Amino acid sequence: MNAMTTRAERKQKFVLQGIPFIIFGIAAIPIWKALKKTDAADMQVVSPNVLSMLLNDLYILLSVSCLAILLGIVCAFYLEEWLPKNNWARRLIESHVAILTSIPSTLYGILAISIFFSYAGTLKVIDGAPPAQNTESIPFQRNTTLFCGEVLTFIFMVTPVTIKTTQEALRSVATPVREAVFALGASQWQVLRQHVVPIAFIRILAGGCRAMSRAFATAALLIGIYIWYDTTDAGGMSGRFILFLAVSLFLSVFSSSLTEVYDSDLTQRS
Amino acid sequence: MKNKIEISGLQVHYGDKPALNGVSFDVHPNEILGIIGPAQSGKTTLLKVINRTLEFTPEATVQGSVKLDGVDIDTIGDVYELRRRIGMVLPLPVGLPLSIYDNVAFAPRTAGLRTKPELDEIVERCLQQAALWDEVKDRLDSLGTKLSGGQQQRLTIARALSHQPEVLCLDEFSIAIDPVTTMRIEDVLKTLQTEMTILLVTNLVQQAKRLANRTAFFLNGDLIEIDTTDVIFSENPANQATYDYVNGTFG
Repeated sequence: MNAMTTRAERKQKFVLQGIPFIIFGIAAIPIWKALKKTDAADMQVVSPNVLSMLLNDLYILLSVSCLAILLGIVCAFYLEEWLPKNNWARRLIESHVAILTSIPSTLYGILAISIFFSYAGTLKVIDGAPPAQNTESIPFQRNTTLFCGEVLTFIFMVTPVTIKTTQEALRSVATPVREAVFALGASQWQVLRQHVVPIAFIRILAGGCRAMSRAFATAALLIGIYIWYDTTDAGGMSGRFILFLAVSLFLSVFSSSLTEVYDSDLTQRS
Repeated sequence: MKNKIEISGLQVHYGDKPALNGVSFDVHPNEILGIIGPAQSGKTTLLKVINRTLEFTPEATVQGSVKLDGVDIDTIGDVYELRRRIGMVLPLPVGLPLSIYDNVAFAPRTAGLRTKPELDEIVERCLQQAALWDEVKDRLDSLGTKLSGGQQQRLTIARALSHQPEVLCLDEFSIAIDPVTTMRIEDVLKTLQTEMTILLVTNLVQQAKRLANRTAFFLNGDLIEIDTTDVIFSENPANQATYDYVNGTFG
């Protein structure tokens, strides 16, 4: 990576980093209105069935693994292997990834509640039916919006971290190895498929797991806060709390065991 | 006699820093051209220009022309084909994270060769030419990166020979190899000369004296002198700096 050296490049990066703040600023207006309208009943999770909640969480787990991690990996490969080194799109994506990874994960949870969930609530208000009654009669719709909100939050949390860790994993494949393979007449695709990906694979997997673990820990924390805030549905919620915390713990231990156990072998190989 | 490589007015800059300032010379077919010179004189850069791996260094700019068999290498559409015609041995041994067999068989497989007997034959021939066969013939399936530094270096030589290149570029190949094995490889190079053209970049001036038909002396990105090895290593080469460098009184 070439460091940002010239004044003009730094200026460009600064301007590009300003874009998300402007977007957040514009988005803040309807969010503020929505927050004012939201009452406690709107925030309650509807279905009292523990099993359906846990199944819902499993759906989230699957969709997040498919969407967020794949998106992150594809994005990182594009950035590292195809995009020219000195390019405005690269600067745009990398500066945004830097911002998104630096935001504390708890903040994402709070943002998720305030943006996606209450915004979904306002949409229902616009539809004409009061959200509290609507959710009683049609629980499925309510669950779908919740589901989408949760998945979107997870993508925002997981993708940047996956991009970052995948990029680092790809960079860990030493340039001499690439140059040696290229010197033997291999094409870009052959270099990637036969050398870069096998060496970097474990690190990419571990990075994805670590990102997921971060997301699950935040979710568990928020659910924990919810239990203390409102104990009417304590049984179901504590079930989710334990599930999220357990998955988070498992993923973090799994990712570190991946890097400790398998990667030591691979670093010898590369 | 038609020249194998014709280099004219070759300039390379890394950003603002010049690496080669307008170098012009020819390489004859089936000769060993020794390239000597202190660090930072542009020897490795020259080799990277020839097989177009300098393109991976984004800040490098190249001017001038390099012709291989009379064809400008910039006009060759299939750069991978060009690289297959040129064997390259880099100063740091890079064992690919594959088995020893796969390391050597990699380039022929890339070129589309799949039949096992032919690959076996190529692997054995190349490892023998690189003076490595006797040491590894019983463990061809072990990882290439587990070999010692000198063995890995010889593995890279075997790999460079595996696709039967027309031009073999050796960049300080003997850096980690003991003198006895080095002599064995040097003997192989002398016999390979009948099949290919060899560019030998070396820090050991005596190696150039032993092997090269002609020798080029580079200094700070300039080609100071190119002549037959006898002249370069004689008492009166054309340039005083060459005499000083060759006799170790440079400074």
